[in-house]
Amino acid sequence: MTIDDVNEIETDAERDKKRYHFDRHTPEYRLQFEATTADLHGKCPVAWSDTYGGHWVASGHQEVFDIARSADVLSNDFDPERGYQGVTIPTSPSKLQGGFLEMDPPEQRHYRQALNPYLSPAAVARWTPFVDELVRAALDEKIESGAIDFVDDLANVVPAVLTLAMMGLPLKDWPIYSGPSHAMVYTPPTSPDMPRVVQEAIRMMQRLAQAVVEARQQPRPGLIDALIHAQINGNSPSDEDIRGALILLIGGGFDTTTALTAHSLEWLSEHPTERERLRAERDSLLDSATEEFLRFYTPAPGDARTFSSDCAIAGTTFKEGDRLWLSWAMANRDASVFPDPNSIDLSRKGNRHSSFGLGIHRCIGSNMARMTFKRMLVHVLDRMPDFVCDPAGTAHYETIGVINGMKHLPATFTPGPRIGPGLDETLDTLQRACDEQQLAEPVTQRPERAQVIE
Amino acid sequence: MQVRVDPDKCQGHTLCAMRAPKLFELSDIDGHASALVDDVPADQEDDAVEAFQSCPEQAIVLVGGPPA
Repeated sequence: MTIDDVNEIETDAERDKKRYHFDRHTPEYRLQFEATTADLHGKCPVAWSDTYGGHWVASGHQEVFDIARSADVLSNDFDPERGYQGVTIPTSPSKLQGGFLEMDPPEQRHYRQALNPYLSPAAVARWTPFVDELVRAALDEKIESGAIDFVDDLANVVPAVLTLAMMGLPLKDWPIYSGPSHAMVYTPPTSPDMPRVVQEAIRMMQRLAQAVVEARQQPRPGLIDALIHAQINGNSPSDEDIRGALILLIGGGFDTTTALTAHSLEWLSEHPTERERLRAERDSLLDSATEEFLRFYTPAPGDARTFSSDCAIAGTTFKEGDRLWLSWAMANRDASVFPDPNSIDLSRKGNRHSSFGLGIHRCIGSNMARMTFKRMLVHVLDRMPDFVCDPAGTAHYETIGVINGMKHLPATFTPGPRIGPGLDETLDTLQRACDEQQLAEPVTQRPERAQVIE
Repeated sequence: MQVRVDPDKCQGHTLCAMRAPKLFELSDIDGHASALVDDVPADQEDDAVEAFQSCPEQAIVLVGGPPA
Protein backbone atom coordinates (compact mmCIF):
# COMPACT_ATOMS: atom_id res chain seq x y z
CA MET A 1 0.00 0.00 0.00
CA THR A 2 1.46 3.40 -1.00
CA ILE A 3 1.21 6.75 0.76
CA ASP A 4 -1.30 7.84 -1.88
CA ASP A 5 -3.49 4.85 -1.07
CA VAL A 6 -3.40 5.72 2.64
CA ASN A 7 -4.28 9.33 1.86
CA GLU A 8 -7.19 8.23 -0.28
CA ILE A 9 -8.55 5.98 2.45
CA GLU A 10 -8.28 8.81 4.99
CA THR A 11 -10.01 11.20 2.60
CA ASP A 12 -12.85 8.76 2.01
CA ALA A 13 -13.21 8.19 5.75
CA GLU A 14 -13.45 11.93 6.44
CA ARG A 15 -16.10 12.31 3.77
CA ASP A 16 -18.04 9.24 4.93
CA LYS A 17 -18.30 10.69 8.45
CA LYS A 18 -19.83 13.89 7.11
CA ARG A 19 -21.79 12.73 4.09
CA TYR A 20 -25.08 14.62 3.56
CA HIS A 21 -27.10 14.91 0.38
CA PHE A 22 -27.19 18.61 -0.45
CA ASP A 23 -28.51 20.16 -3.68
CA ARG A 24 -29.18 23.85 -3.40
CA HIS A 25 -30.38 24.10 -7.02
CA THR A 26 -33.65 22.23 -6.36
CA PRO A 27 -36.98 23.93 -5.61
CA GLU A 28 -37.17 21.70 -2.50
CA TYR A 29 -34.12 23.40 -1.00
CA ARG A 30 -35.87 26.77 -1.25
CA LEU A 31 -39.11 25.44 0.19
CA GLN A 32 -37.39 23.55 3.04
CA PHE A 33 -34.57 26.00 3.62
CA GLU A 34 -35.12 26.45 7.36
CA ALA A 35 -35.50 22.72 8.08
CA THR A 36 -32.45 21.80 5.96
CA THR A 37 -30.39 24.51 7.63
CA ALA A 38 -31.31 23.35 11.14
CA ASP A 39 -30.59 19.74 10.19
CA LEU A 40 -27.16 20.61 8.81
CA HIS A 41 -26.31 22.75 11.84
CA GLY A 42 -27.30 19.89 14.14
CA LYS A 43 -25.64 17.00 12.27
CA CYS A 44 -22.67 18.37 10.38
CA PRO A 45 -22.02 22.12 10.08
CA VAL A 46 -19.30 21.12 7.61
CA ALA A 47 -20.76 18.37 5.39
CA TRP A 48 -19.64 16.42 2.35
CA SER A 49 -22.15 16.21 -0.51
CA ASP A 50 -21.65 13.97 -3.55
CA THR A 51 -23.65 16.32 -5.78
CA TYR A 52 -21.98 18.21 -8.67
CA GLY A 53 -18.80 16.15 -8.62
CA GLY A 54 -18.60 16.22 -4.83
CA HIS A 55 -18.02 19.21 -2.59
CA TRP A 56 -17.93 20.37 1.02
CA VAL A 57 -20.78 22.49 2.39
CA ALA A 58 -20.09 24.87 5.28
CA SER A 59 -23.30 26.04 6.98
CA GLY A 60 -22.47 26.70 10.65
CA HIS A 61 -21.62 30.31 11.44
CA GLN A 62 -18.33 29.58 13.22
CA GLU A 63 -17.28 27.13 10.53
CA VAL A 64 -18.10 29.53 7.68
CA PHE A 65 -16.31 32.31 9.57
CA ASP A 66 -13.17 30.25 10.20
CA ILE A 67 -12.93 28.85 6.68
CA ALA A 68 -13.86 31.97 4.71
CA ARG A 69 -11.14 33.98 6.41
CA SER A 70 -8.42 31.38 5.73
CA ALA A 71 -7.27 33.07 2.53
CA ASP A 72 -3.91 31.32 2.71
CA VAL A 73 -5.46 27.91 1.98
CA LEU A 74 -8.44 28.97 -0.19
CA SER A 75 -8.53 29.92 -3.84
CA ASN A 76 -11.23 31.78 -5.77
CA ASP A 77 -9.29 31.26 -8.98
CA PHE A 78 -11.00 30.08 -12.15
CA ASP A 79 -8.46 27.76 -13.76
CA PRO A 80 -10.22 24.57 -14.91
CA GLU A 81 -6.96 23.00 -16.09
CA ARG A 82 -5.82 22.96 -12.46
CA GLY A 83 -9.30 21.87 -11.35
CA TYR A 84 -9.91 25.25 -9.72
CA GLN A 85 -13.36 26.28 -10.85
CA GLY A 86 -14.03 29.62 -9.25
CA VAL A 87 -17.00 30.56 -7.11
CA THR A 88 -19.82 28.58 -8.71
CA ILE A 89 -20.90 24.97 -8.13
CA PRO A 90 -21.44 23.52 -10.67
CA THR A 91 -18.94 25.35 -12.87
CA SER A 92 -20.39 28.35 -14.67
CA PRO A 93 -21.82 27.27 -18.05
CA SER A 94 -20.19 30.31 -19.67
CA LYS A 95 -16.73 28.92 -18.72
CA LEU A 96 -15.45 32.49 -18.50
CA GLN A 97 -13.58 33.90 -15.56
CA GLY A 98 -15.95 35.90 -13.33
CA GLY A 99 -13.84 39.03 -12.97
CA PHE A 100 -11.79 39.62 -9.85
CA LEU A 101 -14.15 37.52 -7.72
CA GLU A 102 -12.59 34.54 -9.49
CA MET A 103 -9.01 35.67 -8.87
CA ASP A 104 -6.63 35.43 -5.94
CA PRO A 105 -4.32 38.12 -4.58
CA PRO A 106 -2.32 40.00 -5.63
CA GLU A 107 -4.30 40.53 -8.86
CA GLN A 108 -7.63 40.53 -7.00
CA ARG A 109 -6.32 43.15 -4.57
CA HIS A 110 -5.09 45.37 -7.39
CA TYR A 111 -8.54 45.38 -9.01
CA ARG A 112 -10.18 46.29 -5.72
CA GLN A 113 -7.69 49.06 -5.05
CA ALA A 114 -8.52 50.55 -8.45
CA LEU A 115 -12.28 50.45 -7.82
CA ASN A 116 -12.55 51.22 -4.09
CA PRO A 117 -12.46 55.04 -4.48
CA TYR A 118 -15.65 54.77 -6.56
CA LEU A 119 -17.50 52.46 -4.15
CA SER A 120 -16.39 53.42 -0.63
CA PRO A 121 -19.01 54.74 1.83
CA ALA A 122 -17.88 58.32 1.13
CA ALA A 123 -17.94 57.74 -2.63
CA VAL A 124 -21.42 56.22 -2.58
CA ALA A 125 -22.89 58.89 -0.26
CA ARG A 126 -22.26 61.48 -3.01
CA TRP A 127 -24.85 59.72 -5.18
CA THR A 128 -27.69 59.95 -2.64
CA PRO A 129 -29.40 62.99 -4.28
CA PHE A 130 -29.15 61.19 -7.65
CA VAL A 131 -30.82 58.08 -6.23
CA ASP A 132 -33.52 60.12 -4.46
CA GLU A 133 -34.45 61.80 -7.74
CA LEU A 134 -34.42 58.48 -9.60
CA VAL A 135 -36.66 56.78 -7.00
CA ARG A 136 -38.98 59.79 -7.00
CA ALA A 137 -39.42 59.49 -10.77
CA ALA A 138 -39.94 55.71 -10.67
CA LEU A 139 -42.68 56.11 -8.06
CA ASP A 140 -44.23 59.10 -9.89
CA GLU A 141 -44.74 56.83 -12.91
CA LYS A 142 -47.18 54.78 -10.81
CA ILE A 143 -48.34 56.97 -7.94
CA GLU A 144 -51.57 58.19 -9.59
CA SER A 145 -52.66 54.70 -10.60
CA GLY A 146 -52.56 53.08 -7.16
CA ALA A 147 -50.77 50.02 -8.56
CA ILE A 148 -47.08 49.17 -8.96
CA ASP A 149 -44.87 46.17 -9.50
CA PHE A 150 -42.09 46.78 -7.00
CA VAL A 151 -39.68 44.60 -9.02
CA ASP A 152 -40.38 45.82 -12.56
CA ASP A 153 -41.13 49.45 -11.75
CA LEU A 154 -38.72 50.20 -8.90
CA ALA A 155 -36.20 47.62 -7.72
CA ASN A 156 -35.04 46.66 -11.23
CA VAL A 157 -34.70 50.29 -12.29
CA VAL A 158 -32.76 52.03 -9.53
CA PRO A 159 -29.73 49.73 -9.02
CA ALA A 160 -29.34 49.37 -12.81
CA VAL A 161 -29.39 53.09 -13.58
CA LEU A 162 -27.02 53.90 -10.71
CA THR A 163 -24.58 51.16 -11.76
CA LEU A 164 -24.50 52.49 -15.33
CA ALA A 165 -23.97 56.02 -14.00
CA MET A 166 -21.03 54.86 -11.90
CA MET A 167 -19.54 52.99 -14.85
CA GLY A 168 -19.85 56.05 -17.10
CA LEU A 169 -22.39 54.47 -19.46
CA PRO A 170 -25.53 56.10 -20.94
CA LEU A 171 -28.35 55.89 -18.38
CA LYS A 172 -31.03 55.26 -21.00
CA ASP A 173 -29.35 51.95 -21.90
CA TRP A 174 -30.40 50.45 -18.56
CA PRO A 175 -32.98 48.00 -19.99
CA ILE A 176 -30.33 46.46 -22.29
CA TYR A 177 -28.33 45.47 -19.20
CA SER A 178 -31.14 44.91 -16.72
CA GLY A 179 -33.25 42.41 -18.67
CA PRO A 180 -30.64 39.70 -19.25
CA SER A 181 -28.91 40.30 -15.90
CA HIS A 182 -32.03 39.14 -14.07
CA ALA A 183 -33.30 36.62 -16.62
CA MET A 184 -29.97 34.78 -16.85
CA VAL A 185 -30.24 34.09 -13.12
CA TYR A 186 -33.84 32.93 -12.90
CA THR A 187 -34.40 31.20 -16.25
CA PRO A 188 -33.88 27.42 -15.96
CA PRO A 189 -31.44 26.07 -18.59
CA THR A 190 -34.23 23.90 -20.06
CA SER A 191 -36.76 26.75 -20.37
CA PRO A 192 -38.16 27.44 -23.87
CA ASP A 193 -37.45 31.10 -23.08
CA MET A 194 -33.72 30.46 -22.66
CA PRO A 195 -32.69 31.07 -26.33
CA ARG A 196 -34.28 34.54 -26.17
CA VAL A 197 -32.55 35.28 -22.86
CA VAL A 198 -29.21 34.16 -24.30
CA GLN A 199 -29.73 36.43 -27.31
CA GLU A 200 -30.36 39.35 -24.95
CA ALA A 201 -27.25 38.48 -22.95
CA ILE A 202 -25.17 38.39 -26.14
CA ARG A 203 -26.54 41.81 -27.10
CA MET A 204 -25.57 43.13 -23.66
CA MET A 205 -22.05 41.71 -23.98
CA GLN A 206 -21.67 43.27 -27.42
CA ARG A 207 -22.81 46.62 -26.11
CA LEU A 208 -20.39 46.37 -23.21
CA ALA A 209 -17.49 45.44 -25.51
CA GLN A 210 -18.31 48.44 -27.68
CA ALA A 211 -18.45 50.66 -24.58
CA VAL A 212 -14.94 49.64 -23.53
CA VAL A 213 -13.59 50.43 -27.02
CA GLU A 214 -15.35 53.81 -26.98
CA ALA A 215 -14.08 54.58 -23.47
CA ARG A 216 -10.51 54.06 -24.66
CA GLN A 217 -11.07 56.49 -27.55
CA GLN A 218 -13.13 59.08 -25.68
CA PRO A 219 -12.34 58.86 -21.96
CA ARG A 220 -15.22 59.47 -19.53
CA PRO A 221 -14.93 59.21 -15.76
CA GLY A 222 -16.24 56.06 -14.09
CA LEU A 223 -15.54 52.44 -13.29
CA ILE A 224 -14.68 51.57 -16.92
CA ASP A 225 -12.07 54.31 -16.97
CA ALA A 226 -10.70 53.05 -13.65
CA LEU A 227 -10.32 49.55 -15.10
CA ILE A 228 -8.67 50.81 -18.29
CA HIS A 229 -6.04 52.62 -16.22
CA ALA A 230 -5.65 49.99 -13.49
CA GLN A 231 -2.24 48.43 -12.93
CA ILE A 232 -2.69 44.72 -12.28
CA ASN A 233 0.67 43.30 -11.27
CA GLY A 234 2.25 46.06 -13.34
CA ASN A 235 0.14 45.39 -16.45
CA SER A 236 -2.94 47.02 -17.92
CA PRO A 237 -5.90 44.63 -18.10
CA SER A 238 -7.00 43.40 -21.51
CA ASP A 239 -10.44 44.27 -22.91
CA GLU A 240 -11.52 40.73 -22.01
CA ASP A 241 -10.42 41.19 -18.40
CA ILE A 242 -12.17 44.56 -18.25
CA ARG A 243 -15.38 42.99 -19.57
CA GLY A 244 -15.08 40.26 -16.93
CA ALA A 245 -14.83 42.88 -14.19
CA LEU A 246 -17.78 44.84 -15.62
CA ILE A 247 -19.97 41.74 -15.85
CA LEU A 248 -19.10 41.02 -12.23
CA LEU A 249 -20.11 44.56 -11.21
CA ILE A 250 -23.38 44.27 -13.16
CA GLY A 251 -24.13 40.79 -11.84
CA GLY A 252 -23.30 41.86 -8.31
CA GLY A 253 -25.05 45.21 -8.50
CA PHE A 254 -28.36 44.48 -10.19
CA ASP A 255 -30.12 41.29 -9.15
CA THR A 256 -28.96 41.28 -5.52
CA THR A 257 -30.27 44.70 -4.54
CA THR A 258 -33.48 43.98 -6.44
CA ALA A 259 -33.87 40.75 -4.46
CA LEU A 260 -33.30 42.43 -1.11
CA THR A 261 -35.74 45.25 -1.84
CA ALA A 262 -38.51 43.01 -3.12
CA HIS A 263 -38.32 40.55 -0.23
CA SER A 264 -38.27 43.33 2.34
CA LEU A 265 -41.29 45.08 0.83
CA GLU A 266 -43.15 41.77 0.66
CA TRP A 267 -42.46 41.15 4.37
CA LEU A 268 -43.49 44.69 5.32
CA SER A 269 -46.77 44.23 3.44
CA GLU A 270 -47.40 41.07 5.45
CA HIS A 271 -46.50 42.85 8.72
CA PRO A 272 -48.24 46.25 8.60
CA THR A 273 -47.66 46.97 12.29
CA GLU A 274 -43.91 46.52 11.83
CA ARG A 275 -44.09 48.61 8.65
CA GLU A 276 -45.73 51.46 10.54
CA ARG A 277 -43.14 51.13 13.31
CA LEU A 278 -40.32 51.35 10.75
CA ARG A 279 -41.97 54.31 9.03
CA ALA A 280 -42.43 56.21 12.28
CA GLU A 281 -39.11 55.28 13.92
CA ARG A 282 -36.84 55.19 10.88
CA ASP A 283 -34.17 57.38 12.47
CA SER A 284 -33.43 54.68 15.01
CA LEU A 285 -34.58 51.59 13.07
CA LEU A 286 -33.58 51.98 9.42
CA ASP A 287 -29.98 50.82 9.89
CA SER A 288 -30.76 47.79 12.02
CA ALA A 289 -33.78 46.87 9.87
CA THR A 290 -31.61 46.97 6.75
CA GLU A 291 -29.02 44.67 8.31
CA GLU A 292 -31.79 42.33 9.47
CA PHE A 293 -33.34 42.12 6.00
CA LEU A 294 -29.84 41.46 4.63
CA ARG A 295 -29.31 38.66 7.18
CA PHE A 296 -32.69 37.04 6.73
CA TYR A 297 -32.95 37.14 2.93
CA THR A 298 -29.21 36.86 2.04
CA PRO A 299 -29.64 37.81 -1.64
CA ALA A 300 -26.39 36.07 -2.69
CA PRO A 301 -26.69 32.88 -0.64
CA GLY A 302 -23.12 31.66 -0.93
CA ASP A 303 -19.87 31.30 -2.85
CA ALA A 304 -17.64 28.39 -3.76
CA ARG A 305 -13.93 28.08 -3.08
CA THR A 306 -11.20 25.57 -3.90
CA PHE A 307 -8.75 24.46 -1.21
CA SER A 308 -5.26 25.37 -2.39
CA SER A 309 -3.45 23.12 0.09
CA ASP A 310 -4.11 20.27 2.50
CA CYS A 311 -5.35 21.71 5.78
CA ALA A 312 -7.55 21.17 8.84
CA ILE A 313 -10.02 23.92 9.76
CA ALA A 314 -13.07 23.85 12.00
CA GLY A 315 -12.53 20.19 12.84
CA THR A 316 -12.43 18.95 9.24
CA THR A 317 -9.49 17.79 7.15
CA PHE A 318 -9.49 19.13 3.61
CA LYS A 319 -7.36 18.13 0.63
CA GLU A 320 -5.82 20.41 -1.98
CA GLY A 321 -8.27 20.67 -4.88
CA ASP A 322 -11.37 19.96 -2.74
CA ARG A 323 -14.32 22.13 -3.64
CA LEU A 324 -16.33 23.96 -0.98
CA TRP A 325 -19.64 25.81 -0.77
CA LEU A 326 -19.65 28.59 1.82
CA SER A 327 -23.29 29.21 2.68
CA TRP A 328 -23.68 32.78 3.90
CA ALA A 329 -27.44 32.20 3.99
CA MET A 330 -27.29 29.20 6.31
CA ALA A 331 -24.60 30.77 8.53
CA ASN A 332 -27.01 33.69 8.92
CA ARG A 333 -29.57 31.35 10.52
CA ASP A 334 -27.23 29.88 13.14
CA ALA A 335 -29.04 30.05 16.48
CA SER A 336 -25.75 30.15 18.41
CA VAL A 337 -25.08 33.62 16.99
CA PHE A 338 -28.56 34.89 16.08
CA PRO A 339 -31.22 34.19 18.74
CA ASP A 340 -34.53 33.15 17.17
CA PRO A 341 -32.78 33.06 13.78
CA ASN A 342 -35.86 32.38 11.64
CA SER A 343 -37.68 35.51 12.80
CA ILE A 344 -37.14 39.06 11.58
CA ASP A 345 -36.32 41.47 14.41
CA LEU A 346 -36.01 44.99 13.00
CA SER A 347 -33.97 46.12 16.01
CA ARG A 348 -31.72 43.04 16.24
CA LYS A 349 -28.44 43.63 18.10
CA GLY A 350 -25.06 42.08 17.41
CA ASN A 351 -26.13 41.27 13.85
CA ARG A 352 -22.78 40.10 12.46
CA HIS A 353 -24.33 38.57 9.35
CA SER A 354 -22.23 37.40 6.43
CA SER A 355 -24.54 38.49 3.61
CA PHE A 356 -21.76 40.43 1.89
CA GLY A 357 -19.35 37.55 2.36
CA LEU A 358 -16.42 37.42 4.77
CA GLY A 359 -12.72 37.93 4.29
CA ILE A 360 -10.83 39.51 1.42
CA HIS A 361 -13.64 39.07 -1.13
CA ARG A 362 -16.25 41.03 0.87
CA CYS A 363 -18.80 42.51 -1.59
CA ILE A 364 -17.20 45.64 -3.06
CA GLY A 365 -20.65 47.13 -3.73
CA SER A 366 -22.04 46.72 -0.21
CA ASN A 367 -22.19 50.46 0.42
CA MET A 368 -24.07 51.04 -2.80
CA ALA A 369 -26.49 48.21 -1.99
CA ARG A 370 -27.29 49.62 1.44
CA MET A 371 -27.75 53.18 0.22
CA THR A 372 -30.01 52.35 -2.73
CA PHE A 373 -32.06 49.90 -0.64
CA LYS A 374 -32.61 52.46 2.13
CA ARG A 375 -33.61 55.23 -0.26
CA MET A 376 -36.08 52.99 -2.12
CA LEU A 377 -37.57 51.79 1.16
CA VAL A 378 -37.94 55.27 2.68
CA HIS A 379 -39.59 56.73 -0.44
CA VAL A 380 -42.08 53.84 -0.57
CA LEU A 381 -42.90 54.24 3.13
CA ASP A 382 -43.45 57.97 2.60
CA ARG A 383 -45.49 57.86 -0.57
CA MET A 384 -47.24 54.46 -0.47
CA PRO A 385 -47.49 53.77 3.25
CA ASP A 386 -50.52 51.47 2.96
CA PHE A 387 -49.24 49.29 0.09
CA VAL A 388 -50.55 45.73 -0.06
CA CYS A 389 -48.67 43.17 -2.13
CA ASP A 390 -50.68 40.70 -4.19
CA PRO A 391 -49.63 37.12 -3.43
CA ALA A 392 -51.37 35.84 -6.57
CA GLY A 393 -49.12 37.93 -8.81
CA THR A 394 -45.96 37.53 -6.75
CA ALA A 395 -43.24 35.41 -8.38
CA HIS A 396 -40.24 34.18 -6.40
CA TYR A 397 -37.32 32.52 -8.14
CA GLU A 398 -38.03 28.79 -8.22
CA THR A 399 -34.57 28.03 -6.87
CA ILE A 400 -32.17 30.00 -4.68
CA GLY A 401 -28.93 28.32 -5.74
CA VAL A 402 -27.55 31.54 -7.20
CA ILE A 403 -29.74 34.44 -6.04
CA ASN A 404 -32.63 34.48 -3.56
CA GLY A 405 -34.62 36.68 -5.90
CA MET A 406 -38.06 37.71 -7.11
CA LYS A 407 -39.42 38.20 -10.62
CA HIS A 408 -42.57 40.14 -9.79
CA LEU A 409 -44.10 41.82 -6.76
CA PRO A 410 -47.32 43.62 -7.70
CA ALA A 411 -48.95 45.84 -5.08
CA THR A 412 -51.82 48.28 -4.69
CA PHE A 413 -51.99 51.42 -2.55
CA THR A 414 -54.02 54.59 -2.07
CA PRO A 415 -53.18 56.76 -5.12
CA GLY A 416 -51.34 60.02 -4.58
CA PRO A 417 -50.23 63.04 -6.63
CA ARG A 418 -47.17 63.15 -8.86
CA ILE A 419 -44.52 65.54 -7.60
CA GLY A 420 -42.18 65.68 -10.61
CA PRO A 421 -41.44 64.53 -14.14
CA GLY A 422 -41.58 60.89 -15.23
CA LEU A 423 -38.72 58.45 -15.64
CA ASP A 424 -37.64 59.27 -19.22
CA GLU A 425 -37.42 63.01 -18.59
CA THR A 426 -35.67 62.39 -15.28
CA LEU A 427 -33.08 60.12 -16.92
CA ASP A 428 -32.29 63.02 -19.30
CA THR A 429 -31.86 65.37 -16.35
CA LEU A 430 -29.70 62.90 -14.47
CA GLN A 431 -27.60 62.23 -17.57
CA ARG A 432 -26.88 65.96 -17.85
CA ALA A 433 -25.89 66.01 -14.18
CA CYS A 434 -23.50 63.08 -14.78
CA ASP A 435 -21.94 64.80 -17.79
CA GLU A 436 -21.73 68.36 -16.48
CA GLN A 437 -20.61 67.54 -12.94
CA GLN A 438 -18.48 64.48 -13.80
CA LEU A 439 -20.32 62.59 -11.07
CA ALA A 440 -18.55 59.32 -11.81
CA GLU A 441 -15.12 60.65 -10.83
CA PRO A 442 -13.60 58.82 -7.84
CA VAL A 443 -14.13 60.38 -4.42
CA THR A 444 -10.43 61.24 -4.32
CA GLN A 445 -10.99 63.66 -7.21
CA ARG A 446 -14.57 64.76 -6.64
CA PRO A 447 -15.65 64.76 -3.00
CA GLU A 448 -18.81 66.87 -3.58
CA ARG A 449 -22.32 65.43 -3.59
CA ALA A 450 -24.34 65.32 -6.80
CA GLN A 451 -26.62 68.29 -7.58
CA VAL A 452 -29.60 66.97 -9.47
CA ILE A 453 -32.57 69.31 -9.06
CA GLU A 454 -32.60 71.81 -11.96
CA MET B 1 -12.68 50.42 28.27
CA GLN B 2 -10.29 50.78 25.34
CA VAL B 3 -11.04 50.14 21.68
CA ARG B 4 -9.09 49.61 18.47
CA VAL B 5 -9.59 48.03 15.06
CA ASP B 6 -7.27 45.27 13.83
CA PRO B 7 -6.39 46.52 10.33
CA ASP B 8 -5.43 43.00 9.22
CA LYS B 9 -8.93 41.72 9.93
CA CYS B 10 -11.08 44.73 8.93
CA GLN B 11 -12.59 44.32 5.45
CA GLY B 12 -14.65 47.51 5.41
CA HIS B 13 -18.10 46.17 6.31
CA THR B 14 -18.78 49.58 8.01
CA LEU B 15 -21.10 48.26 10.72
CA CYS B 16 -18.97 49.67 13.57
CA ALA B 17 -19.25 53.24 12.29
CA MET B 18 -22.95 52.69 11.63
CA ARG B 19 -23.54 51.55 15.23
CA ALA B 20 -21.04 53.86 16.96
CA PRO B 21 -20.24 56.86 14.73
CA LYS B 22 -18.50 58.72 17.56
CA LEU B 23 -16.06 55.87 18.12
CA PHE B 24 -15.11 54.80 14.59
CA GLU B 25 -14.29 56.51 11.32
CA LEU B 26 -14.12 55.00 7.85
CA SER B 27 -11.49 55.61 5.22
CA ASP B 28 -12.87 57.72 2.36
CA ILE B 29 -10.96 55.53 -0.06
CA ASP B 30 -11.86 51.97 0.96
CA GLY B 31 -14.22 52.21 3.94
CA HIS B 32 -11.88 50.40 6.32
CA ALA B 33 -12.40 51.45 9.93
CA SER B 34 -10.20 52.92 12.60
CA ALA B 35 -11.00 53.95 16.16
CA LEU B 36 -11.38 57.68 16.83
CA VAL B 37 -10.46 57.32 20.49
CA ASP B 38 -8.31 55.03 22.59
CA ASP B 39 -10.44 55.26 25.71
CA VAL B 40 -14.17 54.83 25.28
CA PRO B 41 -16.18 57.52 27.13
CA ALA B 42 -18.31 55.92 29.83
CA ASP B 43 -21.57 56.93 28.14
CA GLN B 44 -20.51 55.20 24.89
CA GLU B 45 -19.50 51.83 26.27
CA ASP B 46 -22.78 50.23 25.13
CA ASP B 47 -22.14 51.53 21.60
CA ALA B 48 -18.62 50.09 21.68
CA VAL B 49 -19.91 46.70 22.76
CA GLU B 50 -22.61 46.75 20.07
CA ALA B 51 -19.98 47.60 17.43
CA PHE B 52 -17.74 44.82 18.74
CA GLN B 53 -20.57 42.30 18.59
CA SER B 54 -21.73 43.45 15.14
CA CYS B 55 -18.39 43.20 13.35
CA PRO B 56 -18.65 40.36 10.79
CA GLU B 57 -14.87 39.92 10.78
CA GLN B 58 -14.45 40.23 14.58
CA ALA B 59 -11.86 42.91 13.88
CA ILE B 60 -12.65 45.13 16.89
CA VAL B 61 -10.55 44.73 20.00
CA LEU B 62 -12.04 45.85 23.31
CA VAL B 63 -9.79 45.96 26.36
CA GLY B 64 -11.64 45.95 29.65
CA GLY B 65 -14.72 45.13 27.59
CA PRO B 66 -17.41 42.50 27.88
CA PRO B 67 -16.52 38.95 28.91
CA ALA B 68 -15.46 36.90 25.90
